[in-house]
Amino acid sequence: MDAFWNVTLELLKGFGQNCMIFGLTLLMAIPLGLIISFGSRTNFLPLKAVVRTFVWIIRGTPLMLQLFVVFYIPSLVWGISFDRMTAAIIAFVINYAAYFSEIFRGGIEAIPKGQYEAGQVLGMKKSQIFFKIVLMQVIKRIVAPMSNEIITLVKDTSLARVIMVPEMLKAAERFTVQGLIWPLFYTGVFFLIFNGALSLLFRFIEKKLDYYKG
Amino acid sequence: MLQVENIRKSFGRNEVLKNISFSLKKGEVLAIIGSSGSGKTTLLRCLNFLETPQGGKISVGGNVLFDAENPSSQKESEIRRNRLHFGLVFQNFNLFPQYKVMENIILAPTLMAKEQLRLNGSYKGASTMKQAQQAIREEAEVLLKKVGLAEKRDAYPCDLSGGQQQRVAIARALALNPDILCFDEPTSALDPELTGEVLNVIKGLKSSDSTMIVVTHEIGFAHDVADRIIFMDGGLIEEEGTPQQVIDNPQSARTKEFLARFNQFGD
Repeated sequence: MDAFWNVTLELLKGFGQNCMIFGLTLLMAIPLGLIISFGSRTNFLPLKAVVRTFVWIIRGTPLMLQLFVVFYIPSLVWGISFDRMTAAIIAFVINYAAYFSEIFRGGIEAIPKGQYEAGQVLGMKKSQIFFKIVLMQVIKRIVAPMSNEIITLVKDTSLARVIMVPEMLKAAERFTVQGLIWPLFYTGVFFLIFNGALSLLFRFIEKKLDYYKG
Repeated sequence: MLQVENIRKSFGRNEVLKNISFSLKKGEVLAIIGSSGSGKTTLLRCLNFLETPQGGKISVGGNVLFDAENPSSQKESEIRRNRLHFGLVFQNFNLFPQYKVMENIILAPTLMAKEQLRLNGSYKGASTMKQAQQAIREEAEVLLKKVGLAEKRDAYPCDLSGGQQQRVAIARALALNPDILCFDEPTSALDPELTGEVLNVIKGLKSSDSTMIVVTHEIGFAHDVADRIIFMDGGLIEEEGTPQQVIDNPQSARTKEFLARFNQFGD
């Protein structure tokens, strides 16, 4: 029994790292993703090309590779090095912002032109039209794809172990080396509970937004 | 009141408005009729600055609001201010689905009041946001009564019929007190049994100081409610005059042909 609590405690410590990556990534990738989605919709073609290329590269390469790049390249090329956690968060934020931006873009483009025009003829400013009319409708449309992506993020945080962030799977692997294999499978329980709670939260949000149609 | 001179608008090579000029007196109702693709809707969108004409001039009450020759009349902030001379009711309502009926009506005036109070310290005689808000609400109640939907103030657009939605859209457009209210085929997206309630509301708005432009396929309605009719064809004004002149005694062959088709299928 002692061994069980010992393992649980160690894994929880590791899971703290996963949660930190998760929380900080969400916090920064959502606003960054919104900015990127504006960039990929702009009429200024050079910027649009840059942004779309960026999204293509980020979505087209493995997150694991991006972790290596953020961790090793700056120190190899410029002699600057991030600590492991910072590097992991930078890579996650960039990666997830690219995915989020595409979800936001889809959501924004799904709003009928008539909504913008109705705002315009009522003398509203562009920013007022976006924040007062469009944004709420976008949020309603993107809850489902966003919840998908956010649940994936929870699981992806375990990838940070490739640059030696002491997250939960890394902690479990340490027990494996000592001959204990079950802690590795036990980690699944933590992910399941966390994602179960998230699913409930998203269902609640969807219900809350269900007060209107359209 | 309204003076439109030589408006031209093309989309690529497609010349939609060739050279449109007309004028409108205060309190007049103008109906614009014509077949699909004749440029009626584009003309209305130009008046509301949703499209920028390549040529021509638009003036209201002697002030030039748009002049294709003068790029300073096409600045974003200018356009936003000039738009307020016009209101537009869309074919498919375009109500804001996440807001209740009342909120749909007061949203724009409330934002306007905030801005005016910040810039000038007053909005329609109110000097605080609270006063302004109360006035806006009271006016919205009056408008809702006018369109016969006072009891729907807390409903969401998705819970209303098409006809009710369009009546809310009319109240929303009126809330900003436009000089000229434009209707873009206000009943075309409605089931036939719902057109009557909307047309009756529009008829009820007719008074000595409400100037309206109605693009419509309802020839009978145009005949009843309009002081003047414009028949458009191929981006030009083919015929213009009183309903008696244009609908009862059309002179041009194109107008006769168009009206004959309507009579044939009943109206």
